[in-house]
Amino acid sequence: MELLEIRDVSKIYNRQTVALSNISLNVGEGEFVSIIGPSGAGKSTLLRCINRMIDPSSGAVFFQQNRIDQLPKKKLRQVRTQIGMVFQHYNLVNRLTVFENVLHGRLGYKSTLAGVLGYYDSFERRAAYEILAALGLQEQVFKRCDQLSGGQKQRVGIARALLQRPKMLLCDEPIASLDPSSSKIIMDHLQRISREMKITCLVNLHQVDVAIKYSDRIIGIRNGEVVFDGPPAQITPLIIEQIYGTEAHELILSLETLQPGQKSPVKQSEVAHAAC
Amino acid sequence: MTTVPRKPFDKSQVWLRTVLLLLTGVTLYTLMQLSAPDLDQKLALMADNFRLMFSESHFKHLTLLEGLYGIAITLSLAIQTTLIGALGALMLGLLAARNLAPHWLTSIIKSFVALIRAIPTILWVLIFAVSAGLGSTAAVIGMTFHTVSYLTKSYSESFEEIEPGVIEALRGCGARWWQIVFQAVLPTSLHPILSWTFIRFEINFLNAVAMGAAAGAGGIGFDLFMAGGHYLDFREVGMITYLIIAVSMILESSSIQLKKRLEL
Repeated sequence: MELLEIRDVSKIYNRQTVALSNISLNVGEGEFVSIIGPSGAGKSTLLRCINRMIDPSSGAVFFQQNRIDQLPKKKLRQVRTQIGMVFQHYNLVNRLTVFENVLHGRLGYKSTLAGVLGYYDSFERRAAYEILAALGLQEQVFKRCDQLSGGQKQRVGIARALLQRPKMLLCDEPIASLDPSSSKIIMDHLQRISREMKITCLVNLHQVDVAIKYSDRIIGIRNGEVVFDGPPAQITPLIIEQIYGTEAHELILSLETLQPGQKSPVKQSEVAHAAC
Repeated sequence: MTTVPRKPFDKSQVWLRTVLLLLTGVTLYTLMQLSAPDLDQKLALMADNFRLMFSESHFKHLTLLEGLYGIAITLSLAIQTTLIGALGALMLGLLAARNLAPHWLTSIIKSFVALIRAIPTILWVLIFAVSAGLGSTAAVIGMTFHTVSYLTKSYSESFEEIEPGVIEALRGCGARWWQIVFQAVLPTSLHPILSWTFIRFEINFLNAVAMGAAAGAGGIGFDLFMAGGHYLDFREVGMITYLIIAVSMILESSSIQLKKRLEL
């Protein structure tokens, strides 16, 4: 049984703008899937239709046998605890500490009052600390989030999602605002999460080279339709052209020479780690 | 040679200019219609009164201690109305923020508080004076009423400035409405909330002075009214004014201090 099944999902905004048209996908457990495509192709909308931050106009979304698009509010909240989300702009509460932000990942499991008061038991606190330590943030635990660098903020975002103990992570352009070395750290963490913790990762990306390097599978979207679905090895200049159109072709082609297994142009050295 | 294309026709600009032109015309006309045969005499008299008030100020019917007591009463009137108003406005503000409540509810609350705000505080106090009688009760109710509507607007606008992504992130974790309010909305907007509340406190202090005189709510405003309207002692009016200015300045500087500490 697949973890996630998207069947004929369409999303139409304001009765005229078609964001998604008849998307069908299956995603298995532990898969690392990148979704690439030009801006406005519907990548973000697709991710948000999965945890119903956006309601699809038609079609069905199944996650662990739950039909998400028909769940009542309370059940939807329970299912959402199983789906972590990571954002381009991190979306942390900047005035709170790193620790408090990470613990927000538990809110879906708590009673209203405990969540309101910010009461977390010792198991939750220990788990939060362990995740932060695993992401290399043990020095920053009690810093306020607005004192962190972009790369550190994104790791806090990932920690928050992981503390949900999710089955799946939805990452909406997690490295679009980061410099190359921070980007590499974030992608390495995501890859480790999918391989070692068997958590499915669905990642929207703008960087074709990154998608090729890290993914088990790449989905290309253009104008709300899936135009490519396959392993990175099958990506060719022609397919890039199909996804992005002819204009982008030449720019991406230079990056395109990278194949999986090759080193990325980012120098992966201690420098990168020290920077974060 | 290339020519820069003409700026497209902008309706709002035309309207803005028309209105400004009209207002200028009205102002000029009014100024020309002014006539005051003994303007210089009157100005001299006014200057003399000002001199009496502010250079020869003294306490006569009032001791300094009694003046400070009046200030204390006025301050507590301001604190009470601001506190009660802030509590009410917090709840209404959450329900009036577009990113936290359904659209129909926010429009109802927003138009309701706009209606209340359109009527000045002093009128509300006088309206409540009809049912509660002139005095401190009417002043407290009337001032609280206006404070709620003022703070509801400012709070809800602060809440609306929160990044939508933060709320989305917590909803994505499965958090409930109240949890999002306490874990994200309030911590993020703490600074503007305190800031607005303090501004309203300063406004309420000045309102409370006026209420003391106009609605018989007591405090320094009543003393001011007695000095000016009853004893006709301009010098004492000046002294009380100094006292009020001093308190306002202390409030102002303490609000700046408070904000500084919160920045850290």
